[in-house]
Amino acid sequence: MLPETRRSRRRTTLAGVAGLSVASAALLAACAPGAPSSSPSSSTSAGTSVGSGKATITVEEASIDVPLFQKLASLFEAKYPNIKVKVVGQDFNTLQTNVPRILAGSNVPDIIRLGAFGNTVADKQLANLDPYAAKYGWNSWPQAQFESTRSNAKGTERGTGSLYGVGPGFGLTGIYYNRALLKRIGAGVPATLAALEADMAKAKAKHIPPMIISGPAQTLAFTAQNLEVDYANSVTPVQNWNYDKPGASINSPAFVKAAATLQTWAKDGYFPTDVNSLQESDAVTQFDSGHSLFYVSGNWDAPAIDKAGLGKFGFFGFPPATAGGITDAMSAADLQVIPIKAAHPAQAAAFLNFIQTDQAARQDSLNMGGYVPGGPANAARLSTPNGSAVSGTVAFFAQATARNELTEFMVNATSSISASTLVPGTELLIGGRLSPSSLASKVQSDYVSQLASR
Amino acid sequence: LTSSSTRAPTAAPAAEPALRARRRQPRRRAASWLTLLWALPALTVYGVFVLYPLVETVVYSFYNWDGIGAASPAGLSNYQRVFTQSALYSSILNSFVLIVFFTVIPVLLGLVSAVLMREIRGRGTGGLIRTLLFLPQVIPLAGAAIAWTWMYSPNGVVNQALRAVGLGSDQHAWLGDFSTALPAVGIIGTWVLTGFCTVLLLVGLAKIDQSLFEAARIDGAGRWAEFRAITLPGLRRELVVCTTVTIISALASFDVVYIATQGGPGYSTMVPGLEIYQLTFIKQQVGQASALAVVLVALVLAIIVPIQRLGRER
Repeated sequence: MLPETRRSRRRTTLAGVAGLSVASAALLAACAPGAPSSSPSSSTSAGTSVGSGKATITVEEASIDVPLFQKLASLFEAKYPNIKVKVVGQDFNTLQTNVPRILAGSNVPDIIRLGAFGNTVADKQLANLDPYAAKYGWNSWPQAQFESTRSNAKGTERGTGSLYGVGPGFGLTGIYYNRALLKRIGAGVPATLAALEADMAKAKAKHIPPMIISGPAQTLAFTAQNLEVDYANSVTPVQNWNYDKPGASINSPAFVKAAATLQTWAKDGYFPTDVNSLQESDAVTQFDSGHSLFYVSGNWDAPAIDKAGLGKFGFFGFPPATAGGITDAMSAADLQVIPIKAAHPAQAAAFLNFIQTDQAARQDSLNMGGYVPGGPANAARLSTPNGSAVSGTVAFFAQATARNELTEFMVNATSSISASTLVPGTELLIGGRLSPSSLASKVQSDYVSQLASR
Repeated sequence: LTSSSTRAPTAAPAAEPALRARRRQPRRRAASWLTLLWALPALTVYGVFVLYPLVETVVYSFYNWDGIGAASPAGLSNYQRVFTQSALYSSILNSFVLIVFFTVIPVLLGLVSAVLMREIRGRGTGGLIRTLLFLPQVIPLAGAAIAWTWMYSPNGVVNQALRAVGLGSDQHAWLGDFSTALPAVGIIGTWVLTGFCTVLLLVGLAKIDQSLFEAARIDGAGRWAEFRAITLPGLRRELVVCTTVTIISALASFDVVYIATQGGPGYSTMVPGLEIYQLTFIKQQVGQASALAVVLVALVLAIIVPIQRLGRER
């Protein structure tokens, strides 16, 4: 009897203590989460002058770009000896996971790499770069390059408003091809969608895997977007959608047709059997090994592809539906931003200007990162090895920019559209578990609800 | 109290126990405060790192919040979505399927292996088998999951083995196929947890009095009767621990799925742990993530508490 009584007393005491702890924890947590309403202003109050005083700026990049930024830093330090650039890195996905908290923290870098703006503009975490654009003359450069990094102050619409980010260069999507295999099937670089389909059919007939594409690497979604632009024969609908313009809709006949084509290609066996589990790193390795005809990806893979076999692989833009139509591609800046809490915003802006304008820096961005530099219209030409995949990306970027055929990525339209909808949706589509029209309506309804919830 | 203690010697003998109890009270109260004092450091850590985040998660679940900016009250809408949005509740259903692979199969296999290993008297062989079975426990799960994705790939070991035995037509992109992805992920869990269950159940078996088995044999009991009457009841506590730990691994699984499939193809391997991660860090919907987390905790408790009770029953 006694032990039972003791146990029950102990239980009562512990329950009391636990209750007390829960109650105090509840008291601590009882206020609404979120930042106080008096957030700092998003316009930069700091001056734009670099000055002659010593300063160290910290640049936080994705690990894969750390060697490039270390090179850019050494070039910059040679020109501005009073400024030291410290480059730190972490895995890209980890960095994107941590970005909002890094920006809200107390030890904030002066420049940080973003995947997309997400809620950072709305949460007033980024410096407005308009004063620097004025100071460094960015406003007189071709403005299309800054479109994707402009946002209204509320962060609800892009392609308009103030500048919040720039980059050493631009990502660009397209299709890599294996020259030897293209020759073996007796075809040239496809100039139209029909020619692309014919090439894939010929490859399939000769037991050559026609196209390396992947759900997890988002390239199914890229191709759906390419096909949509082809069928719409205009970049405007998708671009309005990407920039969250009021009333924009992707639930259109062109997108339904694009989804149907993608589904047909899957049924015809043009894609790898593990298209829905193929990771990006494995996809590029498979293509490098020389067994597949086409590989859907972007210029970020170009240096590695050239390294695997310079001259063996080429690059072309997604072909138009009919000859002379839009040869479209997705493109976005390798987005670098200055946090509102940065200690040295003026020096950081000087670094960002340097990497866009210095010829050696631009060449390194291309050679090491694969990024095609933007910058002023009269910038000196970059040298690329003849017949390289990199030269293909540079040539196509120039052509698409001149013809205004570049669009932002649909996967960047909202922070969750890729993981919630486009990646699983396109996987379900080619698995025959979602119809083209259901995909189109799902993408649109998810997009609307995601925009409404932010 | 002082007056009662001074009067005690003159009190009637029948009242003695009650008085003694009353006299003991202040000491006991002091003792309980002292207990509390000793427990305070641990309680503080528990409060700060477990209770506070738990309560805060519940609070977040009633708001729409991106984790940084201002939050707006959401009422019960986050909870409503957990039960009405197929992407969210299907993740919970998937984790129930994983219980088959993380709990049912490992516990059954563990039970069979433990009983068989008890039979193997040769120490060297038994030790080797124990080590081999337990090995997956010491390999970091993330690394193991990468190795498994290679084995499951179209040209991986699994398909090679099928081709070698003439089952080439049964080849699959195991992780990329809607019908096989979830079981394929589940088998990684089976591989990890079978050794854990085996070793735990072996320890339990060693604690059962050998004379019970001998007595049963003398009484002419067969292996099955012996297993039902002695082994199974004797392993009740170990079985409860195995079941509890593995069910929690199934319902709260994250690492294997994150590495192997990221929830795909489609939503076929999405589990609550991964959905919570994506909602919080990629989709910046902290309120929705918190509501799913609270439902997950409630679900784990609803399943685990009855199992614990089962373990206590005699």
